[in-house]
Amino acid sequence: MEQIIANGLYLGAQYALIALGLTLIFSLMNVLNFAHGQMYVLGGFVTYTIVAQFGLPFIVGLFASAIVLAVVGALIEKFLFAPVIRKSKREESTMLLAAGIAFFLDAVILLVFGEKQRGVPKIVNGVLNWDFRIIMPYDRILIGVLAIAMIAGFILFMQYTKAGRAMRALAQDRMAAELMGVDVKRYSMIGFALGAMLAGLVGGLLVTITGINLGMGGPTSIKAFMMIMIGGAGVISGAIAGGFILGMMESIGLTVLAAYGDITYLVIFASLMVFLAIRPQGLMGKPWG
Amino acid sequence: MKRRTLLKTSALAAVASLSFLGMAHAENPVLKIGFVGVTSGPAAAWGISNQRSMETRAAWLNELGGYEIDGQKYDIQIVAFDDQKDPKRAIAGMEKMAQEGIHYVVGPNVDDGAAAVRPVAEQNGIMYFPYAFPKELYTAPASNAVLGMVANYQSGPAIYKHLMENEGVQKVAFVAANESDPLSQRDGGVEAAKALGLEVVSDSVTYQVDTTDFTPVLLPVIQTQPDLLVLSGVSPANAPQLIRSARELGYEGLISTETAQDATVLQEGAGELANGFISVGGASTPELASDAMREFVDRYTKMFGEYNDESNTKVYALEYILETIKANPAAMTDVEAFKTTMDTFEAPNPYMVGDAKLTYVGTSSFGQKRQVSVPLVVNVFKDGAFETLFVAQVD
Amino acid sequence: MKAKLLGLGAFLITVFVIVPWLIAISGRWDFYYTLTSVALLSIASAGVWLTFYIGRINIGQGAYALAGGYVSAILITKAGFSFWATLPLAGLFCAGLSVLIGLPILRLRGVYFAMVTLVLTEVGRLSALALPVTNGAKGITSIPLPGEVSVFGLTLIPDFATLENPKLAFYLVAVLLMVICYAALYRIVNSRLGHLCRSLQQNEELSASIGVNTAYLRVLAYSISSFFGGIAGAMFVAISQSIYPSSFQVADSVNFMLNCFLGGLGYVFGPMLGTLMLYFGWDLLFTTGRFQLLIYSSLLILLMLFLPNGVLSLFERKGVRK
Repeated sequence: MEQIIANGLYLGAQYALIALGLTLIFSLMNVLNFAHGQMYVLGGFVTYTIVAQFGLPFIVGLFASAIVLAVVGALIEKFLFAPVIRKSKREESTMLLAAGIAFFLDAVILLVFGEKQRGVPKIVNGVLNWDFRIIMPYDRILIGVLAIAMIAGFILFMQYTKAGRAMRALAQDRMAAELMGVDVKRYSMIGFALGAMLAGLVGGLLVTITGINLGMGGPTSIKAFMMIMIGGAGVISGAIAGGFILGMMESIGLTVLAAYGDITYLVIFASLMVFLAIRPQGLMGKPWG
Repeated sequence: MKRRTLLKTSALAAVASLSFLGMAHAENPVLKIGFVGVTSGPAAAWGISNQRSMETRAAWLNELGGYEIDGQKYDIQIVAFDDQKDPKRAIAGMEKMAQEGIHYVVGPNVDDGAAAVRPVAEQNGIMYFPYAFPKELYTAPASNAVLGMVANYQSGPAIYKHLMENEGVQKVAFVAANESDPLSQRDGGVEAAKALGLEVVSDSVTYQVDTTDFTPVLLPVIQTQPDLLVLSGVSPANAPQLIRSARELGYEGLISTETAQDATVLQEGAGELANGFISVGGASTPELASDAMREFVDRYTKMFGEYNDESNTKVYALEYILETIKANPAAMTDVEAFKTTMDTFEAPNPYMVGDAKLTYVGTSSFGQKRQVSVPLVVNVFKDGAFETLFVAQVD
Repeated sequence: MKAKLLGLGAFLITVFVIVPWLIAISGRWDFYYTLTSVALLSIASAGVWLTFYIGRINIGQGAYALAGGYVSAILITKAGFSFWATLPLAGLFCAGLSVLIGLPILRLRGVYFAMVTLVLTEVGRLSALALPVTNGAKGITSIPLPGEVSVFGLTLIPDFATLENPKLAFYLVAVLLMVICYAALYRIVNSRLGHLCRSLQQNEELSASIGVNTAYLRVLAYSISSFFGGIAGAMFVAISQSIYPSSFQVADSVNFMLNCFLGGLGYVFGPMLGTLMLYFGWDLLFTTGRFQLLIYSSLLILLMLFLPNGVLSLFERKGVRK
C-alpha cells in the first residue's frame, strides 16, 4: 500500500509539472498546444546533449533545457501563434497550427538527435528500501522533490511577481486586463515561453530516469490533456490536482487490475470519460472553458 | 490578390520540382529494391535501422562497381517509403513500389502493416520480406511474403529451454505493451513456456508504450517471484527502463526478450543494471562476426555517424534478395521464378565466420519455405556490449 | 443555381472520367489507391466537419472508423454476410453507438468535448484489443474481397476477386460513396436542419430559448457524423482485407480534424480539399526522403500562417461570407 502511494506521488509530481505548462498556455491564449509533448522531448534531448555528449554537470543541462525551450516558446508565440490568432475567424484554427508545429519539432528532433532512445547516467546511486514496504531509488526521490519544488516555485511566481499577476489577470479576462493597462502581447509571449520552459524542464529532469526518445512527444501531450481535463482547463490548481490524480489512478489501477490483464488502461480511460460526462468542467474549471 | 497568385504559383512550382528529384544517374543499369516501413514517429528506430542497413550495403556494392547478375553489373538503388506505422499508408507505399517497377520489398515492420499490404503485393507480383510474425502471411495460400528474421515462436522456446537446462529456471513471468505485436508475441511465448513445462506465474500485466515510470507496472509481476522475466516484443526504447525498474524493485532473476536490442541504448538507459539481459541479436558479436560483418559495421558508422545493433538482424533480407536473383537471373522481373529458386537456393553466409549458409527455411512453421535462415544468435549484455550466449538454427 | 449544377457536372466528369483517363495515359496506377484513400478519408472527415458545424471539436472519428471496420470484418468472416450488406450495417451500428456515447458527452463543449473524444479513440483501440469478438491483438486477416451482387441473375456489381483491375473498382466505389455523402451533407447544411445547426454553433443557449431542441439536434448531427466514419472504416477493411486494433488510431482522429481545418470550417467541401492536400501532399513528398516530414510540416505551418481560415478562403471574395 505504501509503495502504491509513493509510486503515485512520484508519477503525479512529474505529470503535474507537465500539465502546468500546458494549462498556462491554454489559460492565456485559449490554445491547445499539441506540440507540448514535443517541447518536453526537445528539453530532454538538450539535457542529454549537454550531460552525455559534452560531459557537463546535470544542473547545467537542466538550465540549458529551460533557456532553449523558453526561447523556442517565445519565438513560436511571436511569429506563429500571435499572427494566426489575429487573423483567424475561429480560434480553434490554432489547433492545426499547433499540430503542424508538433510535426515540425518531430522532424527536427529526428534529424538532429536521431531515432535512438537516449539517457544519461544515474545522478545518484542507491535505492531506499524501507522494510520492503517502500522501495524507491534515491534518484527518483530527488527528481520527485525537484519537481515538487518547481511546482511550488511556479505558484509563488504566479502569486507574487508582477508578471505572474499580469498573467493571472490575462487568464481571467483578457479584455479587462488590456483595459487596465496590461501589455497583452508581451505577457502572452512571456506566458508561452514559461509554459514551454516548464515542458523543457520536465524533459530535462526525466531524462535521468526514463531517458528520452522522439516518440514520447505525442503520447505525452495526450496525457497532459487528460490531466488538465480532470482538474479543469486553464486552472493552475486544477492542473496540479489532475496530475496527481492521474498518477494515483495509474498506480492504483495497475496494482488492483493487474490480475484482469489487458483492460487496465481501458478502465482508466473509460472511467475518465464517465467522470467528465458527469462533471463536464473538471474538478475546478470554469464551465465551457 | 497578388500574394495569393504568388502562393498558387509557388505551390505549383514546388510540386513540379519535387517530381524531378530523386532521379539518380548511373552508368550501370539500376536494380531497385524497395523498403516500406516506419521511419518517423515513436517506432522510427525499427525502420531507420532497417533502411540504413540496406542503404549501407547498396552503397558498398555500388562502390565495388555494382552487383553482378548474369554477367551484367547493376547499381543497387534503395527506394524507401515511410508508412508512419499506419497500415493504410503501408498499402500506399506498396503501390508506389509497384509503380516504380519494383518486385522485391523489405518490410513492413509491424503485423498490421504486413497484413494490409498482402493484397497489393499479390496483385502486383511483389515479394516482400516483413519483420512481422502472423503465420497466415507465410502459409499457403499466401506465397509472396518471406519472414525476414527469426520469429518469436521460434526463438522463445530455444531461449527458455536453454535457461531451463543451464540456469534452472522454473517460474516465468511475461509483460507486454498493450499493442498488437507485443501481445501476440506474449501469447506465443506463454504457449511455448507451458509446452516446455515451465510454470507461468504472471502473464496478464500490460503497459502503455508511453509509460514514463514502470515501477507500478512491474510491482505485481515481481511479487510473483519469477525466475525469468520475459519482456515480450519490447521496443528498444522501453527495454532499459523496464530492466532498471525491475532491478530497482529488488528483482534478481533473469530478464530476456525475443526482439533485437541496441547495446548503447541499454548502457545509457540502465547501465550496469542491464548486465545479464538476454536478447536476440545478429552476428556482430566478436565471436561470430566475419570480416564482411565488421566492414559493414564500419561503413554503416561512417555513413550515419553511429551504428545500431538492431541492424545486425536486418542485414540479411537484402543479401537474400540479391543472392537469389543472382542464382536465377529470371527472378529479376519474375517473382514466380524467384519462388521456384527459393526451394533449392543455397549460398555462403558472408557475415558469419565458419561455413554458415544462406537458405530459405520455415517448412516446420509454415509448411513452405518462406523464411530466411539466419542464425538464431542469443546474446547477453555485459558492460556495454553483447556477448554470445548460444547459437541455434531454425528449420 | 445553374452555375452550381455546372460545377457539379464538371466535378463528376472529373472524378469518374478524366481522372481514370489521366491515370491510364500517364501510367500512374498507384494514384488509384491514393485517391481511393483520399475519398474514404474525406468521408470520415465530412463527419467531423458536421460536428464542427454544431460547434463541437471532434477528435474521436477514428473510434467510429475502427468500429465500422470491425463490424464489417466480423459480419463477413463470422456470419458470412456479403460485404455490400455490411457497409450500411457498419454505418448504422456506429450511428447507434454514437447515440449512446453522444447523449452524455455532447453536453460538453469546447476543449472538454475535444479531449473526451480524443480519449474515446484510445478507448476504441483498447476495446478492440480486449474484446473477444475482435480476435484481440491478432486482428482479423484474410477477409475475402467484396463479392457479386445480382438481381434476377443480372450482375449489378461483379465479384471483385474476378476483376482484372480491382483498384479501379475500389476507386469508383469510394468516389461514388464520397459523392453521395457530400451530396447528403450539402443537403443537410442547406436545409432547415442546417440552419438550426448553425444556430447551435453560434449560441446554444439562445437557440434553446427560442424553442430549438438542442439535445436532439446535437445527437442527430453526431450520429450522422459517426455513420460517415463507420462506412469509411468498413470500406478500408475491404481494401486491406484485414483489420487490427491499430488500423485507426489517435493519429487518424487528429488527421480527420486537421483535414477540416485545412480545407476551411466554413465550407462544405473544405474537408474534401483538406484531405486531398494533406494525404496527397505526403505522398508527393515521398521523393524527398528523410526530409519528408520536415517539408510537410513546414508547408502546413506556412499555409496556416497565410490562410488561417482554410484553403477555400482563398476563393472567397472580400466581405462576402456564406
